[in-house]
Amino acid sequence: MSQSFIESTLQGFARAFSKALISEQAAIQPGLLQSLDPRVRVVGILALVIAVVLCHKLAVIGAVLVLGVVVAVASRLSVWSLATRVWFVVLGFTGLISLPALFITPGDRIVLVPELALSISAQGLRTAALLVLRVETAATLTTVLVLCTPWTHILKALRSFRLPTEIVTMLAMTHRYVFLLIETANQMFESRQSRMVGELTGPERRRMTARTAGVLLSKSVELSHEVYLAMLSRGFDGEVRLLTDFRFRVHDYFGLTGFILAACLAIWMGR
Amino acid sequence: MHIPDGYLSPSTCVTLYAFAASGWYSALNRVRRLLATRMIPLISVFAAFSFVVMMFNIPLPGGTTGHALGVTVAAIVLGPSGSILAVSIALAIQALFFGDGGITTLGANCFNMAIVGSVVAYGVYCLIAGKSEVGARRRAFAAAIAGYVSINAAALLTAFEFGIQPTLFHDASGTPLYAPYPLHVAVPAMMIGHLTLAGLAEAVISAGLVSYLQSSDIGLLRGIQGFPGMPGVANSVEDPSPVRLWWIVGFLMLCTPLGILAAGTAWGEWSSADLGNPAARVQIEASSGNRAAPSSVPAGLQKLSAIWTAPFPGYAPRFVKSAGFGYILSAMFGVGLLLLAALIATRIANGLGKWESRS
Amino acid sequence: MTGTVNAAFEINGITFDYEGIPAIRDLSLRIERGERVVLLGANGSGKSTLLRILDGLCFPTTGAVNFAGNPLTPEGLQRNGYGLAFRRQVALVFQNPDVQLFNPTVFDEIAYGPLQLRWSKENVLQHVDETLRVLGISHLKERAPYRLSGGEKKRVALASVLVLDPEVLLLDEPTATLDPKSQSQIVDLIQQWKGTTKTVVTATHQLEIVEDIADRVLVLEAGAVIGAGTPSQILSDADLLLRANLVHAHRHSHGSVVHSHPHRHGHSHHDHEHGPSGKS
Repeated sequence: MSQSFIESTLQGFARAFSKALISEQAAIQPGLLQSLDPRVRVVGILALVIAVVLCHKLAVIGAVLVLGVVVAVASRLSVWSLATRVWFVVLGFTGLISLPALFITPGDRIVLVPELALSISAQGLRTAALLVLRVETAATLTTVLVLCTPWTHILKALRSFRLPTEIVTMLAMTHRYVFLLIETANQMFESRQSRMVGELTGPERRRMTARTAGVLLSKSVELSHEVYLAMLSRGFDGEVRLLTDFRFRVHDYFGLTGFILAACLAIWMGR
Repeated sequence: MHIPDGYLSPSTCVTLYAFAASGWYSALNRVRRLLATRMIPLISVFAAFSFVVMMFNIPLPGGTTGHALGVTVAAIVLGPSGSILAVSIALAIQALFFGDGGITTLGANCFNMAIVGSVVAYGVYCLIAGKSEVGARRRAFAAAIAGYVSINAAALLTAFEFGIQPTLFHDASGTPLYAPYPLHVAVPAMMIGHLTLAGLAEAVISAGLVSYLQSSDIGLLRGIQGFPGMPGVANSVEDPSPVRLWWIVGFLMLCTPLGILAAGTAWGEWSSADLGNPAARVQIEASSGNRAAPSSVPAGLQKLSAIWTAPFPGYAPRFVKSAGFGYILSAMFGVGLLLLAALIATRIANGLGKWESRS
Repeated sequence: MTGTVNAAFEINGITFDYEGIPAIRDLSLRIERGERVVLLGANGSGKSTLLRILDGLCFPTTGAVNFAGNPLTPEGLQRNGYGLAFRRQVALVFQNPDVQLFNPTVFDEIAYGPLQLRWSKENVLQHVDETLRVLGISHLKERAPYRLSGGEKKRVALASVLVLDPEVLLLDEPTATLDPKSQSQIVDLIQQWKGTTKTVVTATHQLEIVEDIADRVLVLEAGAVIGAGTPSQILSDADLLLRANLVHAHRHSHGSVVHSHPHRHGHSHHDHEHGPSGKS
């Protein structure tokens, strides 16, 4: 079907917008994470992710996952949305990838499937479980952070950690214009879709895609020039000045200590 | 090709972050010098463009579809340094905001796709496009080859990073702690998908975009100096001779023996022959915490090892004594193959061009 | 010859080429402080380019531009302090608001100008809140640009320059693509500046708003000024408007007679109240 490749692209665009919207709604809920300074959130979650990657014990990684779910629920996120956004996706992807490892990892045989002449080793089982659980936990933690924190706050937190201002500004501006370009590309694809009568041949489809991308590219460069003029017009001289107005309150200290302690405990018990 | 958190060990992540950081640092300095105040809006909007192009479903020959990275077009239009920055920013947003790729592995992903990808794409493009006219057909062809090669180079690097995990990072009982597949499984598994789908998608979109630009907005193909409103940074055109880029790729190849730390055959990469050989069995048992090796070759292992017999079994051609040197040779052979393919393609393009102009 | 102190802008015989195509041809004009001028022209007449030249974003190929007696050149703007002072005094609102809304939230956008001009943090916060209130968009403070309607975007764009309290406002098609309600809001704002020391130069092709926002009208066509006068003079000159492509001629027939005459859309006379800042 000539339309289906456009259709799936359009679906991808719609998903991007819905993700942004959900994030915006979640960020204003009165929950646990939302009450903490963004810097504490970023450092805390990052520490836990690093702990998970350093961990060698299944039980400890599982415990961090449970902690992540508790934080999510305390931040007014639904477990079901986590499941659909993260767990099923990871299971489908990483789960599938690690399946062969059950059979080809050498070690102590625990299950034999004589019909298929395949055997599962204990090491294979453990390695598959480790990989899947680690990926699930890390993904859960990152998702919880990003859903509960506006993009600008994440960037401002990064700025506090000495990331160069230009990089932070570029990350902010890119994020802002991603949505404009998605909208533009969306309109272009939809209008082409409505004008198509009958099937397109392969080369025609490829040319159409390339042309859409090409128009988008030209518009992007032109947009960047106009934005440049708009920035100059408001006093841009190469140096970017940002406003940081985060203030640490008492419960932020508690939150930070809590996260760091949990991470250190996980690292120590999981080594 | 976006690696999630958990597939790479902490030390691998840190090493690749260090590699990426040096790439970012030099790219940032260079772009600052070339673009001055124009840098922020141009790189940002181009990063947004790359991001959106990554979402396109590209129809491929054969009826399937695939996704491209857009790194080739970025390298052609912005030059390798601009491309490193723009694609890295797009990847960062994908990872942080959309959950595509991990945070601990962001350095690895940027190194593979944004840095090596840009450098290889630009190098191959310059090599094949040569001194042809900006509007010549050869340029679109060069973009296609550059796209195909750069995606597969990035995939090869990713596969390599996966493949060394079980060797280097396993616990006492022999369980791989991160990515579980050794090199001779990881490499073919990754490369099959990219040689057929992702590489083609990148080739299609790169060639398609270059063709489109040649007819609609040819100024963009002449380099960023020709963009509207560029500050008058007169003669510093970003066009490092491809030779210098190949030095960089060569250095990367020299780093491959990082995977070799243990003496003897790498753990986990035994062949069926090893398990049958008594001397090798002793070694296997010793390195596996003195656990007995399976008395007969596991049937599964036998089946799988028969599927793929690499031309260089064990990555070490017989005439090479040192395993490390063998790795380097194998890598150079791999890249050399790609280069050879590119040069043959150039010859064909030239031949076609002459034939066309005659008829 | 009135002193140059009173002139906001003095332009002498400028030309401007864009990629080889002449966009402005031998144009001269003078704008006094406190004047409200409309540059009336169709798309492609050069009015947007002229506004950018007035804002020091592009520079003419030949001729001279002066602002408040000082020459407007790249070197002049680089000179210590003058660039920043100029940017505060002269503000341009772009035709496409997405271009001007390049910050992540409305608050960041309005705070951008003051921050770049190195105001203190307290000053920035205070002025931003005040501007949000005056334009009635306080509720949009944390909103991202892609979640704003067309009218809201225009108001945010206006707010982002008004926060600097500039002396000169350059507006590029401020009401184009807006619904009638948003359009009248913008027109009301511009009307408020009549009689103040603010100089307002508006580029537009919409004839229906000209009377409300202008003391003087300059008609542009193909990069040159083809007519000048008061709003009523210009709006009643049908031939001039036809030449400038601002109206079109209808051909129609009555029986055996065929004739054509200029025809203008969207003009209706209506009675309304004037507020204290209205026309005298």
